Amino acid sequence: MKNYDITIIGAGSIGTPLAFYLGRSGLKVAVIEKHSSVGQGQNKSAIGGVRATHSDPAKILIGQKTINILNRMEEEFGFQVDWMTGGYLFPVFNNYTERALKKLLELQKHFDLQIDWIGPDDVEKLAPGISRKKLLGGTYSPEDGSASPLKVIDAFYQLARYKGVDFYFNEEVQSFQIQNKKITQIQTTKNKYSSGLVINAAGAGAAAIGKLAGLDFPVYPESHEGGITEPVQQFFKPMIVDIRQDNFSANYYFYQNFEGQVVFCITPQPNIPGVDIDCTSDFLPLVTKRMLTLYPRLRNLRIRRTWRGLYPMTPDGFPIVGYTKEITNLMNLIGMCGQGFMLGPGLGEIIAEYIETKNDKYDSIFKQLSLYRDFSGSEKLK
Amino acid sequence: MNRIEEHPILPIPDDRHQVKFLFNGKEYFGFEGEPVSSALIANDIKEFAIHKREDVSQGLFCANGQCSHCTLIIDGYPLKSCVTPLQDGMDIRTLIHLPDLPPDDHPLEHFEKREYKCDILVIGAGPSGLTATIELAKMGFHVILVDDKDVLGGKLVLQTHKFFGSIKDCYAGTRGIDIATILDNEVYSMANVRIFKNATIAGIFKDQKAGVFLKNNCYALIGFDGLIVSSGAREKSLIFNGNDLPGVYGAGAFQTLVNRDLVKSSKKVFILGSGNVGLIAAYHALQAGIEVLGICDILDKVSGYKVHADKIKRMGVPIYLRHTVISASGNGKIEKMTIAEVDDNFQPLLETAKTFNTDTLLIAVGLSPVDEFYKLAKKFGFKVIKAGDASEIAEASSAMFGGRIAGLEMANLLGKKVKIKASLRQKAEILKSKPGEIFQPSPVVLDENYQPVIKCDEEIPCNPCTSVCPVNAIKLKNNRGNILDIPEYLGGCTGCTICVAICPGLAITLAKRINAHHAEVIIPYEYIPKFAIGDKVPVSDQNGNYLEDAEVQKIRFNKKFHTYLITVKSSLKNGAKITGIIIQKKEKTRPLPQASFEYLPDNGVVCRCEMVRVKEIVEYIEEHKIRDVNQLKQIRVGMGSCGGKTCSTLLPQVFKKAGVEWKDVTEGTKRPLCVEIPMYAIINEESE
Repeated sequence: MKNYDITIIGAGSIGTPLAFYLGRSGLKVAVIEKHSSVGQGQNKSAIGGVRATHSDPAKILIGQKTINILNRMEEEFGFQVDWMTGGYLFPVFNNYTERALKKLLELQKHFDLQIDWIGPDDVEKLAPGISRKKLLGGTYSPEDGSASPLKVIDAFYQLARYKGVDFYFNEEVQSFQIQNKKITQIQTTKNKYSSGLVINAAGAGAAAIGKLAGLDFPVYPESHEGGITEPVQQFFKPMIVDIRQDNFSANYYFYQNFEGQVVFCITPQPNIPGVDIDCTSDFLPLVTKRMLTLYPRLRNLRIRRTWRGLYPMTPDGFPIVGYTKEITNLMNLIGMCGQGFMLGPGLGEIIAEYIETKNDKYDSIFKQLSLYRDFSGSEKLK
Repeated sequence: MNRIEEHPILPIPDDRHQVKFLFNGKEYFGFEGEPVSSALIANDIKEFAIHKREDVSQGLFCANGQCSHCTLIIDGYPLKSCVTPLQDGMDIRTLIHLPDLPPDDHPLEHFEKREYKCDILVIGAGPSGLTATIELAKMGFHVILVDDKDVLGGKLVLQTHKFFGSIKDCYAGTRGIDIATILDNEVYSMANVRIFKNATIAGIFKDQKAGVFLKNNCYALIGFDGLIVSSGAREKSLIFNGNDLPGVYGAGAFQTLVNRDLVKSSKKVFILGSGNVGLIAAYHALQAGIEVLGICDILDKVSGYKVHADKIKRMGVPIYLRHTVISASGNGKIEKMTIAEVDDNFQPLLETAKTFNTDTLLIAVGLSPVDEFYKLAKKFGFKVIKAGDASEIAEASSAMFGGRIAGLEMANLLGKKVKIKASLRQKAEILKSKPGEIFQPSPVVLDENYQPVIKCDEEIPCNPCTSVCPVNAIKLKNNRGNILDIPEYLGGCTGCTICVAICPGLAITLAKRINAHHAEVIIPYEYIPKFAIGDKVPVSDQNGNYLEDAEVQKIRFNKKFHTYLITVKSSLKNGAKITGIIIQKKEKTRPLPQASFEYLPDNGVVCRCEMVRVKEIVEYIEEHKIRDVNQLKQIRVGMGSCGGKTCSTLLPQVFKKAGVEWKDVTEGTKRPLCVEIPMYAIINEESE
């Protein structure tokens, strides 16, 4: 039996930064991962966008933390993670969306977020060559940005190991022993663990972990497809998010990463539930048509690779964060709804601080993202 | 200009249209429609791009649109020059680091989704794909045959040598280029076969459709019930200092330049690897008028057919066994390379180093099957069969058989009950055989009548000499009871010379005694004779050892087999030994008097697209205890345009170097696309 203060299930976008922050607090931490290395679940499917300009207080707060961490990453820890503050641009083509986004600006500004409405000329300055057809303008948040999910998770992995965190790869949790509302033992395919606290950071597999504890966690993976082009010289700055819908898709978004490659992703409509991550033939023609309609200049870029990844969704589109009532030493950091990469570092820092200090600073987050909320709301900027 | 002006086998077209183009502002000439890369190499331009990492030079590498090393700025657009046809007035520039995306901002007006359907999709129109297609079409199936070249036949169209095997079953004695024509004509005549040329399969998708990149500007989806993967093989690579220099590439790219585009791409080549691919590349080079400095192999035995190797040696090419390359160097392109003998652990003995001045280094160190589509289709549960090199690396003769069997098996999978004869499978197995035993030849005594002197002493699957003899004077010995057996002469030769002309190994001569001191020998010759009747030519024994200067008596040309038959008068004692005419003098192939090289084995490039060297990867594996290839993406290994096609076969040895067993390593995840496609092509913006 291996003994730890804290055992994290999942070495992904959430578990890996958390492992570092907990390890830094001097706790004895284990991370159990079914894949053979870090980030092999959905982290490697993330396209790399990071923003704080969400539509709700909890994610805004977490997002601000993440951006803060990424801003300091190189200076403080010596890791170059391709972080660039190119901002997020939501171009707008109808009055309804203009009104909705402008309304949201009020809340976002209330949280000191740098975001504003810009006119079509400014949109074109940010994305030279973008189609002006029906373009009314958009919101732009210059402090948001992008980083390499690969490099970020590797940085946290190295930092965590340096702080003495033990990672167990190719090992899957099989069962829990539960006594007096507490997990007393974790049985994996290779080892047994006892742990003061168990943190479920299993991403798309979060509900399955719940089942092992006899609990129902409302996390349902659905799939999205993404792709990446060849690299070219930097020609546009922001992450462009087009939230219009057509018959086959909802929003899509793309940006040019640090290497000069354009990375893109589309939300299928209707949603495709399940855990299948094999590529479909529909994706490329669908997303390409939409991207070139908005941004014709992309036409000569060669697409290099495509993939399909999972969004661990919740009924209302918001994450689930906090202890369970039924099992007092089980904490959930699950249902990130496709934003695990951008929430992970900030959430890791917050949770570690909370566990160490037990202060009530973050109670509003736990309240908003509680497993026991009624899930009837809906995220406006999914 | 570096053009092949004459060739013993390939016709030189006289209808090519010369056009003018600019390279970095200077005027050059090329042929309209040939790949831009070939036009540049014909003008001796080999440095195409400067890589963003370390500012190293890049040139042509795959010659097949698979990587992006040959990218140039053509009329303002970054394009892969090996698949871009040359046009009059093109403005071509070196690509330095990353290209600028041209501001092509006109609105998107046209888009369409193209789809096709078929019973069976055949990927690759090489020997196995063609025969599979023919079998299936004969049975009435609707077949779509897709190939990434502009002519069908796969590697057959680059093969100017006569094929081994048996005449009845696989066109033995016929040249690859001619076999391709026979098979092409057959598939083109079949109404239920739809052929897509210049078409690369980019991915196989879960919904039982394949994505195909057509003619470099369109994209279509092809739905199928069954899939035959006959996509051939790709060349393995080798890690050494300087392996990224322009001028270092695979034998396949070389054959494309020389035999397809008729570009005299080199003055002097050195070849790594003595398998059939390396040996044949030497033969192709010599036919194109390119000097071959040597062939080296790390093993102590030639890995190709002995008759091939003997033939190459007779032409005057040294084969260095137990040798490996230790360095290549040059300014912007390869200018010099060094080999050295290896010890029992394959480590180079630097004191044995030999340096050559060369402008081309061909890597022919083996092939690995292109079977990703097969594996994926299998995983998806599709009806799929692999054939040819995609299934198992072997000679084209066996691939033709394998294709037929694959076609019949596919018919069964799709519910059509057809019988596959056991003899078909047996023959396929025999044709796949690696070379067997080598036998001591029995001494030959010449008399007044012609007799075939056969220098074919290694068991290989080949028997055309026995089939063509009008008096059945040549038979196979009955050791194994199949076509691997060695041929022997039984007497009764009429001197008709057909066995001499057909032998793929050029291993048969006819010889007779003409008086007490002299003999007459008829030698097969596959070069343009640069001598006349009455001249003295240097002749060699089976293994290329110089025997004497023999007088040319007669020069004949066998039209059917496209082979010259040279009759020489020699001394009687050498009459039975003479096997070939030396075409390359020893002096030409000598190494420099002094070896000069930098031995930096850790400096070799593993990931060519992203320029990651072996040292960097080994250190990263050691430092971070890497056991998952996916983690190497941190240092960009496999993230480039080729999608890990070159580096993935090298990674086992890189991990080994870092002290990690390959069996403990998780392999990298493979994702589509397997060839880059411009976005305008995906939605067919430019098609009408």
